[in-house]
Amino acid sequence: MAGVLFEDIFNVKDIDPQGKAFDRVSRLFCESESFKMDLILDVNTWLYPMDLGDKFRLVLTTTLYENGYPDNPEWMPVENETTRADSFEYVMYGKLYRIEGDDNAKEPSKTKLSAYVSFGGLLMRLQGDPNNLHGFEVDQTLYLLMKKLAF
Amino acid sequence: MVKELYRETAVARKISHVSFGLDGPHAMQQQAHLHVVAKNLYAQDSNRTPVQYGVLDRRMGTNQKDADCASCGKGLNDCIGHYGYIDLQLPVFHVGYFRCVIDILQTICKNPLCARVLLPDKERRIYIPKVRNPNLSYLVRKSLRKQIQVKCKKITICPHCGDINGVVKKNGMLKITHEKYRNKKPDKTMISELAELSKGMEYSKELTNIVQAGYNLNPQEVLRILETIPGEDVPLLLMNQNLSKPSDLILTRIPVPPLCIRPSVISDLKSGTNEDDLTMKLSEIVFINDVIMKHKLSGAKAQMIAEDWEYLQLHAALYINSDTPGIPLNMQPKKSSRGLVQRLKGKQGRFRGNLSGKRVDFSGRTVISPDPNLRIEEVGVPVHVAKILTFPERVQPANKELLRELVCNGPDVHPGANFVQQQGVSYKKFLRYGNRMKIAAELKEGDIVERHMRDGDVVLFNRQPSLHKLSIMSHRAKVLQHRTFRFNECVCTPYNADFDGDEMNLHLPQTEEAKAEALILMGNKSNLVTPRNGELLIAATQDFITGGYLLTKKNVFFRHDEACQLAATLIASTDINMQIDLPPPAIMKPVRLWTGKQLFSLILKPNKKCPILANLRTKGRAYSRDEEMCVFDSFINIRNSQLLAGMMDKSTLGSGGKANIFYVLLRDWGEEAATTAMWRLSRMASAYIMNRGFSIGIGDVTPGNGLLRLKQELLNAGYTKCNEYIESQAAGKLQCQPGCTDEETLEAVILKELSVIRDRAGKACLQELDPSNSPLIMALSGSKGSFINISQMIACVGQQAISGKRVPNGFEDRALPHFERHSKTPAAKGFVENSFYSGLTPTEFFFHTMGGREGLVDTAVKTAETGYMQRRLVKSLEDLCLHYDMTVRNANGDVVQFLFGGDGLDPTYMEGNGCPVELQRVWDNVKANHPFRNEKPLTSTDIVEGSDVLLNSAEFECCSEEFRNQLKGFVEKQAKKWSDIHEGWEQTCPILFELERVTLSQLIHFFQSCREKYLNARIEPGTAVGALAAQSIGEPGTQMTLKTFHFAGVASMNITQGVPRIKEIINAMKNISTPIITAHLDNDTDPEFARRVKGRIEKTTLGEVSEFIEEVYVPYDCFLLIKLDIERIRLLKLEVDAESIKYCICTSKLRMKPQQVTVQSPSVITVRPPTAKESLDFTLRTLKEALPGVVIKGVPNVNRAVIHEEEVNGLKKYKLLVEGDNLRDVIATRGVKGTQCSSNNTYQVCATLGIEAARATIMSEIKLVMENHGMSIDHRHPMLVADLMTSRGEVHGITRHGLAKMKESVLNLASFEKTADHLFDAAYYGQTDAITGVSESIIMGIPMAVGTGLFKLIHKYPFLLALFLVIPLVLENIEKR
Repeated sequence: MAGVLFEDIFNVKDIDPQGKAFDRVSRLFCESESFKMDLILDVNTWLYPMDLGDKFRLVLTTTLYENGYPDNPEWMPVENETTRADSFEYVMYGKLYRIEGDDNAKEPSKTKLSAYVSFGGLLMRLQGDPNNLHGFEVDQTLYLLMKKLAF
Repeated sequence: MVKELYRETAVARKISHVSFGLDGPHAMQQQAHLHVVAKNLYAQDSNRTPVQYGVLDRRMGTNQKDADCASCGKGLNDCIGHYGYIDLQLPVFHVGYFRCVIDILQTICKNPLCARVLLPDKERRIYIPKVRNPNLSYLVRKSLRKQIQVKCKKITICPHCGDINGVVKKNGMLKITHEKYRNKKPDKTMISELAELSKGMEYSKELTNIVQAGYNLNPQEVLRILETIPGEDVPLLLMNQNLSKPSDLILTRIPVPPLCIRPSVISDLKSGTNEDDLTMKLSEIVFINDVIMKHKLSGAKAQMIAEDWEYLQLHAALYINSDTPGIPLNMQPKKSSRGLVQRLKGKQGRFRGNLSGKRVDFSGRTVISPDPNLRIEEVGVPVHVAKILTFPERVQPANKELLRELVCNGPDVHPGANFVQQQGVSYKKFLRYGNRMKIAAELKEGDIVERHMRDGDVVLFNRQPSLHKLSIMSHRAKVLQHRTFRFNECVCTPYNADFDGDEMNLHLPQTEEAKAEALILMGNKSNLVTPRNGELLIAATQDFITGGYLLTKKNVFFRHDEACQLAATLIASTDINMQIDLPPPAIMKPVRLWTGKQLFSLILKPNKKCPILANLRTKGRAYSRDEEMCVFDSFINIRNSQLLAGMMDKSTLGSGGKANIFYVLLRDWGEEAATTAMWRLSRMASAYIMNRGFSIGIGDVTPGNGLLRLKQELLNAGYTKCNEYIESQAAGKLQCQPGCTDEETLEAVILKELSVIRDRAGKACLQELDPSNSPLIMALSGSKGSFINISQMIACVGQQAISGKRVPNGFEDRALPHFERHSKTPAAKGFVENSFYSGLTPTEFFFHTMGGREGLVDTAVKTAETGYMQRRLVKSLEDLCLHYDMTVRNANGDVVQFLFGGDGLDPTYMEGNGCPVELQRVWDNVKANHPFRNEKPLTSTDIVEGSDVLLNSAEFECCSEEFRNQLKGFVEKQAKKWSDIHEGWEQTCPILFELERVTLSQLIHFFQSCREKYLNARIEPGTAVGALAAQSIGEPGTQMTLKTFHFAGVASMNITQGVPRIKEIINAMKNISTPIITAHLDNDTDPEFARRVKGRIEKTTLGEVSEFIEEVYVPYDCFLLIKLDIERIRLLKLEVDAESIKYCICTSKLRMKPQQVTVQSPSVITVRPPTAKESLDFTLRTLKEALPGVVIKGVPNVNRAVIHEEEVNGLKKYKLLVEGDNLRDVIATRGVKGTQCSSNNTYQVCATLGIEAARATIMSEIKLVMENHGMSIDHRHPMLVADLMTSRGEVHGITRHGLAKMKESVLNLASFEKTADHLFDAAYYGQTDAITGVSESIIMGIPMAVGTGLFKLIHKYPFLLALFLVIPLVLENIEKR
């Protein structure tokens, strides 16, 4: 799968812990199963309702083409070709704007790195071991693909 | 047709100076055309012909359209008028010079044969060379005159003739008495003379009178004395001999002004004419003159002539100054008239009304209305206005066809023309009549067409009051239908305009040069930012902020069609052909949805070709924590023109602030980018808000059940607390606040409690209200209203305050008769618990109107006060400008500052807080704009080394040391951050290089852009820094509310704030209303020590420390016994004992002798009454009354000292706040750290610590007041004001007194205040005004030497050479032949 930057299965641990500030949009706090990554993600829950304890597959890619062909910078409104998005339920497009080290710099050994992505204002933070964030670059455009997993 | 080279017009006739002087009778006659003798105005015929030799004689010009001047034969418009004169039968005093005449008489010998200046030869030798110096400044001449006069006043015997000279005084109206023989210490000559006179006095009552009360000097006598003053003595009177003689100060002849300045109005209603006041007065003078002459001829009684003479004197005075003071009741004129002085003085007078401010042509005025579709730099002009305001455009090949078309259209079709001025033709052709086609066809290059205003013309747009330079700006005209001026709402702030019926003015500059200058210097695009502090002034307002806020909310999504529709709103006006690149949708599946943030990003960068990459990372108004992940989405991150996170609000869209997206655009991408983005926002936001719908209704202000319950709880809690306080005060248990009585303490705590209720209610509203509530949205976005306003509508109006206190008692012991006497409950003292929704009770309503009235009165008073303050500030600072050597100088060239603001930087361009570059922002910006993905990241050592190399390069030599250090420090901080982050990773991983990634090229870019910004920020020579400083201080003054400010922690220490305080500082008042000295202590951690020092400073009276004072009567003795309260003295830490108290009693005003006061024991003092005329009992009792008031300790003039406690790093620190003026004594008090004392009284500081300290105080005090009112001002402005006030070595206030000591120019002073006084003075001194300042230049109509007028173009003019060509003489040629 060329162009895929990250892929894992996440569990929704918490929704809007500090209160719901906006209707239609919720903030999910998730944890991944295999890489133990922390994820904070804003989701339009009107379109794609999420519940506590939901399990979903999340893929971050730089392109939607199956062959990993670089993404066309010009967005075309009508696209009939089959893309990677077809097998997912919820897809967002956004930009990685910051990669940041651990907040508490006092610790002698640092292990966590955070990547921040904004999908047109819907934010995502992916935090975890630097090795899992290989290939992330600031100013990269990304696709986020999500699909709920049935139990 | 090539435009002629610019040449200063009529170089030979430039006004170099104006000199003032006195005209003598001879000069008057020379200037005049006729001698006026006839008292009648018109002949007794039907067609109203003026009498020959009367005051309306046609030889003095004409005042009628149908009559020509008899002297020059010209009509009303061309005749400049001619003078006449009246010869007075007897000389009279000139009211304007009356004071001068008295001053002269006090300086010279009153012997009509001597009349020399009374200075003895020795002093004369000192003064004569001083006085003869031709380069003396006006101020020095005035002070010399004063000195000589003071010296001469003391001399009683003339050193030249030996005659006696007494006191010369004004005595009633225009009368002078000379008290020759009155002297406290008569010397020999006087005694002998008096002895001689005493014989006569026995027989003559008159003589006795003269000797005792002095005799009157009538104008005739004075004239004789003044005429005898020898020529060599005139300079000692500081008169200019070439321009004026002392004898000219007395009127013997009056000039009659030309008719054109005193027109007669023929009234249609009644027969006859309305004559000007001057005409009437002059004819009266001629009449009285006539009477005196007849009396003289007929040999009437001396008394009758004297009466007439007095009458003549009065009318001559009234003619000059119609409100001459001191006219006796029986002579008072029946109706008031306008004298010559009245014509000059006042706001409508000649100086302020016609010379300093002139009427202009090519201007218009109408109502304004908003139009968000207009671009920022445009102004919509009605066609009607566009057809009247014209621009004279010269025909040239490029515009010939166009102008032909315009000429053909004529004056009534809009893009047309009104007049054509053909070359070589002296008159203009009006295009309404005549053959326009023919004129158009004959149009030649070089002709001038006065065409209508068209789209794109540069116009000046202005709204009164013009408080700062941004009140008049140039716009580009856009001719529109309908009858109002229209502009984008973003431009409301600088004009302070709203659309409730405001009117504005429009001017059309008439030359290409004026157009260019207006466009570049006054263009509103060039003035987005205020010079006050460099903050954005033109920015989104009201609906645009609301729209931007709603649009960028996290939950705003658009379908494809909606997104396109909104994006298409940007395609308009000049961007009509713009391509818009819609980004890929943020949500692609299940439905394609764009977010509002994506659409907002189009405002900044609509398509890929647009190069603008703006960056902004800042907190919003509702920011909580976690940067971008803030739950309220209130951390704004704009990266490369993409809004990534955060809702836009007032702080990022609106005016006032630098963390603003438009500010970033302006500074990094230029004014065009900023204004275009602003315009796009106004289009998109208004389109969105109109589509979405945004309105307010009763439902928005109806509180829910939860809110009502919450409010009730708050009220109950607050009320119980207040009641507790009231009860504890009644029981006397209330803990007093320092320096307060228990009453005051109660007021303070209750007021605090009640204001908490309203604030909490506001917070409750915020929580309880639905997020879609319109008032809430407006408050959250910051577009209009605050939480308090919402809370007042929905929950609780709150406490009504009148001058910072609860409502005072209007009835006996209560505010209103509805309450019990002495009631202190919240409701009885003006607390309004209802909301505007629930409705106020009658008493609440009444209290509310009381508060409302205070506000109204306040604004009314404030506008007048600040207006005057602004005028004074501008008048005194207007001529300060930056010269090419970077010094700030006034019009005379005196240096006020050697380097403007200490660093030579322009406040307008300060991106940081007082510094030219906000380094962090530039750093982030460079990193985002130039990723340099292919370069290797630098390590921390690389960063430091690289920056050192760059900073030491030749390129950075032009930057100041301070700035370079600042840069260096910043880069080092960044390097440290880098190493901190990269330390301690367990494994190395390529992605770690993404952290704080900086490359070499980025570093170079960073330094380059910092350097560029610094160089940009350097102030330009010619900048009118004085005017800017005056406006920057005056303009915010108008926005200040008259509120007093409490010291934090210390109640009762109110200090005057707001406009009154600014006034005190600027006026350099000696006695300010709340003088406070802040005294730091030698030991500032010990409260005991502070209390002891407080005891030393604070005034303590004997009564305060004594247990009792009683009268003791024992056999053969009685005395007063004072028992000191030793315990109390110990408690108060007073350093007094019985001995020191004894000393104090003896030195007090009671005049006790040491033996009367005896110290019996450490706590007992006895005082024996002095032996006096009154009874013993009485003296004892008065003494008993007076003794408790004796001050035993403390600094005089200090009423109170309060210990101020503050926490610094967890440590409690104490300092003293002393209420009083006596800085010197407080500094000298033991325990006070003298080096750290400060006072807010500039005058005291100047007297104690010197002028530099006074300057620093002025600066810090202005800053303090401004900060307390939430107004930020660049420190350079108060610095300049302080520098000017202290530039002469003493603190001069910005008042008429201070101004007269700072300015040389007569015209400047005359156009400010006391017009006539300054003019008469100038005439006396024979002052010349060099016309260098701003006011003078405006009066004379000369370009002023500020800004673009500062430099002069020096050029070689070809024909000057021709003038110097040697033309051979005629005879020379012949000889050669």
